[in-house]
Formats: sequence, C-alpha cells, structure tokens
Amino acid sequence: MSELNNSMTQSSLNTATTSAYEKWRLLKDAIMRRAVVAGGLSVIFAIVVIFFYLLYVVYPLFLPATAERVSQYVIPGENAGKTLLLAVEEQNEIAARFTDTGQVIFFEAKTGKILAQKTVLLPEGSTIVSSAQGTPMREGAIAYGLSNGQVILVKQQYKMTFAGEKRVITPSLSYPMGEKPLVIDESGAAVEKIAFKIGDNSTVIVAKSAKKIHVASFEKEQSLFSDEPTLTRTDSILDISGADISDILVDKEDHNLFLMSNDGLLSYIDISKKNAPEIKQRLNVVKVGDKVTSISFLNGDLSLMIGDSTGLASQWSLVKNPTGGPAFERIRAFKVSEKAVVAISTSEQRRRGFMTVDANGMMGIYHSTSEREMIKTPVSDATPVAAILSPRANALLIQNHDGKIHFWHVDNEHPEVSIKSMWQKVWYESYPKPAYIWQSSSASDDFEPKYSLTPLVFGTLKAAFYAMLVAIPLSLMGAIYTAYFMSPKMRIYAKPAIEIMGALPTVILGFLAGLWLAPFIEENLAGLFALLMIVPLGVMVFAFGIQCLPEPIRLKIPEGWDAALLIPVILISGWFAFSISIPLETALFHGTLRDWFKAELGIGYDQRNALVVGIAMGFAVVPTIFSIAEDAIFSVPKHLTVGSLALGATPWQTMIRVVLLTASPGIFSAIMIGFGRAVGETMIVLMATGNTPVMDLSIFQGLRTLAANIAVEMPETEVDSTHYRVLFLAALVLFMFTFVFNTLAEVIRQRLREKYSSL
Amino acid sequence: MSTPEPRSHSFDASSILRNAHGNNDPVEPCIKVENLNLFYGKKQALHNVNMEMPKKKVTAYIGPSGCGKSTLLRCINRMNDLVDNVTIEGRILLHDDNIYDKSVNVAALRRRIGMVFQKPNPFPKSIFENVTYGLRIQGINDKRILEETVETSLRGAALWDEVKDRLNDNALGLSGGQQQRLVIARAIAIAPEVLLLDEPASALDPISTLKIEELINELKEKYTIVIVTHNMQQAARVSDYTAFMYMGELIEMGATSQLFTKPTKKQTEDYITGRYG
Repeated sequence: MSELNNSMTQSSLNTATTSAYEKWRLLKDAIMRRAVVAGGLSVIFAIVVIFFYLLYVVYPLFLPATAERVSQYVIPGENAGKTLLLAVEEQNEIAARFTDTGQVIFFEAKTGKILAQKTVLLPEGSTIVSSAQGTPMREGAIAYGLSNGQVILVKQQYKMTFAGEKRVITPSLSYPMGEKPLVIDESGAAVEKIAFKIGDNSTVIVAKSAKKIHVASFEKEQSLFSDEPTLTRTDSILDISGADISDILVDKEDHNLFLMSNDGLLSYIDISKKNAPEIKQRLNVVKVGDKVTSISFLNGDLSLMIGDSTGLASQWSLVKNPTGGPAFERIRAFKVSEKAVVAISTSEQRRRGFMTVDANGMMGIYHSTSEREMIKTPVSDATPVAAILSPRANALLIQNHDGKIHFWHVDNEHPEVSIKSMWQKVWYESYPKPAYIWQSSSASDDFEPKYSLTPLVFGTLKAAFYAMLVAIPLSLMGAIYTAYFMSPKMRIYAKPAIEIMGALPTVILGFLAGLWLAPFIEENLAGLFALLMIVPLGVMVFAFGIQCLPEPIRLKIPEGWDAALLIPVILISGWFAFSISIPLETALFHGTLRDWFKAELGIGYDQRNALVVGIAMGFAVVPTIFSIAEDAIFSVPKHLTVGSLALGATPWQTMIRVVLLTASPGIFSAIMIGFGRAVGETMIVLMATGNTPVMDLSIFQGLRTLAANIAVEMPETEVDSTHYRVLFLAALVLFMFTFVFNTLAEVIRQRLREKYSSL
Repeated sequence: MSTPEPRSHSFDASSILRNAHGNNDPVEPCIKVENLNLFYGKKQALHNVNMEMPKKKVTAYIGPSGCGKSTLLRCINRMNDLVDNVTIEGRILLHDDNIYDKSVNVAALRRRIGMVFQKPNPFPKSIFENVTYGLRIQGINDKRILEETVETSLRGAALWDEVKDRLNDNALGLSGGQQQRLVIARAIAIAPEVLLLDEPASALDPISTLKIEELINELKEKYTIVIVTHNMQQAARVSDYTAFMYMGELIEMGATSQLFTKPTKKQTEDYITGRYG
C-alpha cells in the first residue's frame, strides 16, 4: 500500500522524470490515437478511390469523337477511271476503289499503295451506267448496272492469314451470282439505278431501266436428291412509274423496297411476295421545294436516313400504329448543316451511327438513338467525290476534287449513350412511341442495345418502396412495443430473436422468395389479402375477449407479456386466412383473384412481382430498422417518460408526444439505413423480381433493380465496351444514390438531434 | 442506537399537526397515509407507514440514502406503479379518496398530484410547449388559454422575466436552475392540489437552490407541498413539517421547528446531529 502511494507521489508533471510505466502508457495512447486516425482516413480514402475508379471507367462514355487525318495520297490507279465507290475492310488496312470502267483497285488504306487490281468481266460493248452496294453491307457486294440492260454482281473478299506473327490480308473479287451477267431488262435498255440484297439463299435485284422498276428475285433451293441447288428466278415489274426515281433501297430481309424520287416522294413497297409486290405507303419526306439529296439505311435496315437540301438528316422508321398496319414516320431529325446533305454513310456495321457530309465538305458523325453529334469537322473544300466510313466506324476514306484520297482515323468509342438516351424517353426503331427501355443484348448483330437507366432506377425505388411499405410499419411498431411496453424479461428474448433474422443470408431469403413464396402467393393471393384483414380482426377479438375475462384470471397475465399470448392468435388467424383463400376466390371472384384482377381491372399478374419482393426484402430490412429504432426508443431517458406520466399523460400520449419525438433522430436514421439496405440489396431482388426492366407501378408486376442488373449482366459484358461502362455508370448511380441518401439522412439526423436530444 | 426503539408505529400524527405553530388551530390534512407497506419483489422497502400531510403546508422527508423517502413520495402519485414487481399494501387518501382504489384513473390522479424530480427533465420542445404539455394532453388547445397559462405558470415559477422573450426556444437551452423552475412551471400549469418535489435542488448550484427554495415558500400559499431532501438545512429552511425516515420506517414526524430542536426519538436526534447518515 505504501509502495503504491510512493510511486503515485513520484509521478510528477515533469516528463523527464516519468516512470517507464508512464512512458508506456503515453506511447500506447499515441499509437492508438494514430491508428484510429489512420483507420478513419483509410476508410475515406477507399471510398474516394472507389468513386474515382467508377468515374474513370464511366467517363469515356461522354467523350466526343475525335478525327484526325492520317495521310493523303494521289488516287491509286488514277487512270483506271472515275471512282464510283470506295470501300474499306474491317481492319482498316485495305481499301478498294470501284471505277466506272469496271476496274477494282485494292490499295493500302494508309499509304495508297496499290496491292491488286482486278477487272470486272463486262460483256462486250457494254458500259457501267449505275452501281450500288448491296445489303447487308457486311457482304461487301457491289452491283453494276450496265448499258445493255444487264446487271453484274461482284463481291470483295478479304482473306486473313497469319504468316508467323504477322497478319496478312489478301483481297480478291468473286462473282456470287456467277460471272455471267444477269439480264434484267429484256429490251436491252440501260440500267439507270440499281439496288440489291444478297444472301445465301435468296438474292433480290431491283433496277430501274426505261422508266420501269424491275424486281428480280432468285431463290436457291437445295433439293433433297441432288447436291446441286436449283435457282428459281421470279421477275416482276412494279406498277409505279420509275421516271423520276433517284434512289432505290432494298432491305436485307428482302421484305421492303423503297423508292425515292428527287422531289421527296418516298414509296414503301412490300416485296415479301415475290411475284406480287404491294405498294404500302407513299409519302413526302421533305417540304415542297426541298430536295432529297442523300438516302441510306441505318444499320439493321429498319430505318432510313434521309438527307435533304436544307441540311437536315432525318430518320424515318416503320412505326406500328395501333390503328392500321405499320407506317413510315419521321422519328427524329438532325440539323447537320445549313447546306445540302450530299452524303450519308451508314456503313457502320454494329451501331446506329451515321456520317454526313454537306455540300461544303463539312463532315459530321452522329448516333441516331442517342441523338449525339459526336464530331463535326471540315474534311473537304466542296462536295467530296466519295466518302466512306469504315465498318467499325474508326476510319474514314474521302476522295476529294483535288484528286487525292484522304485517310482519316476516327475515334468514336461510345456514341450510343447520352444523358438523354439514359434518362429520357427514346424513340427506338419499330416502337410505336418513345419509351424507357433497358435491353442490353440480344442474339443478333443488328440489334440495337437500349440503355435507359430510368427503368432500373425506377425498379430500384419500386422494390425499396414496397419493401419499406412492409418493413416500416412492422419494425417500428415492433420497436415501439418492445422498447416501451414489453416486459423486460420478454424483451431479452424478443430483441435478439428479431436481430438474428438480420444475420440470415439474403441469398436464402431470395431463394425462398423466388421458389417458395412467389408460387405460394400466386396460389393464395386472396388468402394474402384476407390475412391483412383477418389477423388484425383476430387480434382485436382476442383483446376484447381478454377484457371480458373475469378479473382474477385476467390479472394472472403478467403485464408486458400480452404479445406472447398473441402468437397463437396470429398463427391461427393466419392459417385461417390462407385456408379460406380458395373458397373465397371461388365465391367472390368466380375463379382466381388473379384472373379477376386481369378481367375486371386490367391488372396483369406476374408470379415474381413487387409484392413478393416487398415481403421478402421487407423481411430482410425489418431487423435493421427494428434494432436501431428499438435502441433509440429504449434509450429515451426514463426521466422524460416519467416526467410526462407525472403530468397526467397516458402511456400512449407519453409515447407519441415525448418518446417518439425524442427518439426521432434514431428512428429516422433507422429508416434511412433500412432504405439504403433496400436500395443496395441484390440477391433477393435478383431471385424474386423476375428481373424484368419494366416501368410499371403495379404491385403485381416485376421489376429490375440497378444492383440486380449489375449482378446479372456484368459477367457477360465485354471489358471496356459501352455496355460495360454503362453498367459501371449504373454502379456509380447506385453509389451516388446511397451517398446522397446517407448524407441527407445524416444531415437531417443531426438537425433532429440538435433539436430533440435531451442529454 | 443504544436503546433500540420498539418497532410499533401507532404514531399519532394529528396531535403533532395541531402543535405545528404552537397553537391549537385545527390543521386540515390533505393526504393521509395509512398502514402503507411496499415491497420490491420480496424485499420490503416501506414498513407500515402512517402519516398526514397538511393542506397548503410544506412537508419535508429527511433521512439517510435508501431510507425509503423517495419511494414514499412516489407512492403518493402512484409513480411506483411503473416499477416492476412492486406490491403496495395499505391506503393513501387524497382528502377522503383512496388513490389505490381500483376505480382510480391514474392519469387523472397525477394531474391532481404533480411531481418534480431530482434531475430537471424538460421535454426536448420549446419552453412554451413544455409548459403547455399538461394542458395539451388533456385536449386543451385554445391558444388564448395556453398563452395565459404559460404566463401565469412561468410567473408562478419565477421564470417569466428570464424567458418571456424566448418562449419558442428549446427548453434544453436553459440553465439547470432555469430548467428546474420550468419543470415546476410545467407542473403547476395544470393546477394540481399537491406538488411532490423529489430533491428538486440537489442537482443545482447554490444560487439556483436558493431560488428554488424561495419559490417553494411562495408556492405553499397555493399548493400542498411534499419535498424530499438530503439537506437538513434545506428542510429546516423551507418546510413546516418534517418527517424523519430510517430503514423504510417513519421514525418521527412533527413541526419542523420542533423536530430539529426537540426530537423525541433517539434516532432522529442522532441523524440531525450528524452522528450517522
């Protein structure tokens, strides 16, 4: 004892004389203080790093395209005739020039060095009058319309071989319909305009000669008995004057044929029946007096890009009308120039992008659905002779009047996404009206991905809303009862029991919700609604019954244990509700409640819907909200409740006016944390929502949340693709969501605490 | 404690009351405690307490910690009902009604018997809302009545001049002494007959304590006051009658002047002279 006293008196304020133990104490304190600071800072740092990483991945989505001229050179094979068409193969290594003399010159796209020169076998005495690229574009087929009424089809082919490490691309020319020209006009009149579709089994050639439009289709049929396919040819002449037709287009399905006249009259003809083409619609696509200066299919051949003399490039697409059949409608337009749009190149093969060149040589690259102008830059002094965008839209070949070809490098990675296309309604091809759609992938190359984040955000909020609808009343009332009315002994069991629910892996909840709850609710929908009425009714009847009991028996129930008595009541009334489900449906709804909703109210029912998610996710959120809110209510100082009671307030008045008010910061943060959990929850919504990205408030419809969407699609997306970056953007949105919500929650909580904390 | 007192308490409080001011004027009792026994579970905390508290006088309970004086005080407005496992036997009469009768509405009872606690416990609301709380829970929302009550109550609690310009400020911004007077204002706003003060000044500084004591002197003109205190000087200063409790028993009760000068019981004398406690 005396020793201890000695050492204590010795410990003076002078640090030089402090004992070893005192030094150790101070050191420990310093170490721990720094460790705590370092821990806190590293958490903040980690969050900032995550945020910036997401931003770093997302940021290229919003970059404009860039274009720079790589080289220019004298037209290769200048003496071989005038350029009809230019083409570039997919790797941007080799370009081809098709001339009016039937020469095809393959040259290095970068340098103009001639690699090969082929001659198309033209019949004696004929000259090339017209030419066209065939659909689908990736086939690389070219048709020549000849002066003698014949047509010849050639196809550029690029064979890729590897000599060691080096890639060698060898160009060649083939004749898909045979070397012998096809006779289109028997009379021998020149083929003035031509368009065609080429395919393995069917080829359609549409040509204008002598003011008539000829449609020739070739069907290849493989006979069962011989190896030689038989080629059937069907010819027809359109019942339409071809006099002023300036452009012809055939889609790649050879269903639709479009004829464009100079003054802007577009004829839409159904050619799916080969021997009986049918004119579906004729309409003016420009104002009177204006001229159509260029026309082209957008990738997928579902819509036409029409450039006119006023500098407008407009997209026309088949729109399914509720009344009548599909009709062509202008779904959007781009003001690309003050001058005429002389060329529209849509040779981009994977996206709905297009390039325009106006009469002043101003080039613009656009994306139709995102309505983005990616770049606008002068490429020529005047109308270029020919301009072509490479299949991957990363190179540009332009032949100018100065007798040179310019090779441009284009960097246009993510034109599909814009703020508008992600958050506003977009009018997609073949849709009756603008809509919010998330549809990121499909089996077809021509498919246009639809990246509207709105349905996902909507789904996230919808799921969270229904979950909160279930969780808030249950957990807050539970918390109020447990903290304030329940006997302390029962609370010891009840509180951990509910909290342990929170430890349940959500994958199990999701699994149960998807595989057991969803079919169960589907079968017992009426029972579920009956439950909402019968259980409260049962509780009230039970409470009334207890009140009616003679006093000695009633007083035997210990105070605060009434909830325990309710357990069997709830179980029995719940069981009763579900057992009357089917008789109820039969009696009141003549069948099932689902059908009744469908028939009477027009509300469809999905098996995996917001109701299931609300219940399952509500179940997951209840422990979170309950636990925090219960703590908040329980920690309201006793002297406040006692003070209120001493003023003659009833326990209920005390609860409402003092306890809830004082606990409000805690209750508020409980709800916010629960909400944050519901927004970020993945496994339950993944398994129980059906993942349908629809925007429908109905509780019986499915949904897709941001988190589930990332989980579903991230494994199958190509790294650094637009899809990949959009998914990261979804993650960023989710991150911002929780960040903003939590910050807001914290600010409000602090305010509340300042106002209502009594300590 | 050399000669143990017999534990029989046929304590005639009325005779003492008559002698309170040295004359024989009858004093009207407001609260009568009759044969009160209180158990926390199996442990008995109050042993057969009998006493009377006169109307519009201040009665002080003194005694060492744990002697049951606060417990007894809380029995008077049935605050002990809130404690688990409490069993109460005997009667407490407010005038002639037994407050432990089954038909008694506890909330109504507490409106008649207000209570102020050791620690100031204003609600986290504005000063105005604190004072009007007792009225609002009775459904009184008439603004004119509320405003009048706030002024009279705050004046009654000697707080009006200090807070009249900031009635809408949060009550938690007041000092401890102000908070305690606010709590008293809140208690008197509902016009109770009795005010129970449970060590109302023990958490306050000397100046605030003085103010509270002055206030008690003013309040006794209107209310019957029962105060529990540790501080014998305070009991001597503010009370008309004093009850000394020890180990759950009422040892002695009498006019304050008499009890402090001529205690009849040895235990009382030991306590007030500081020999134990």
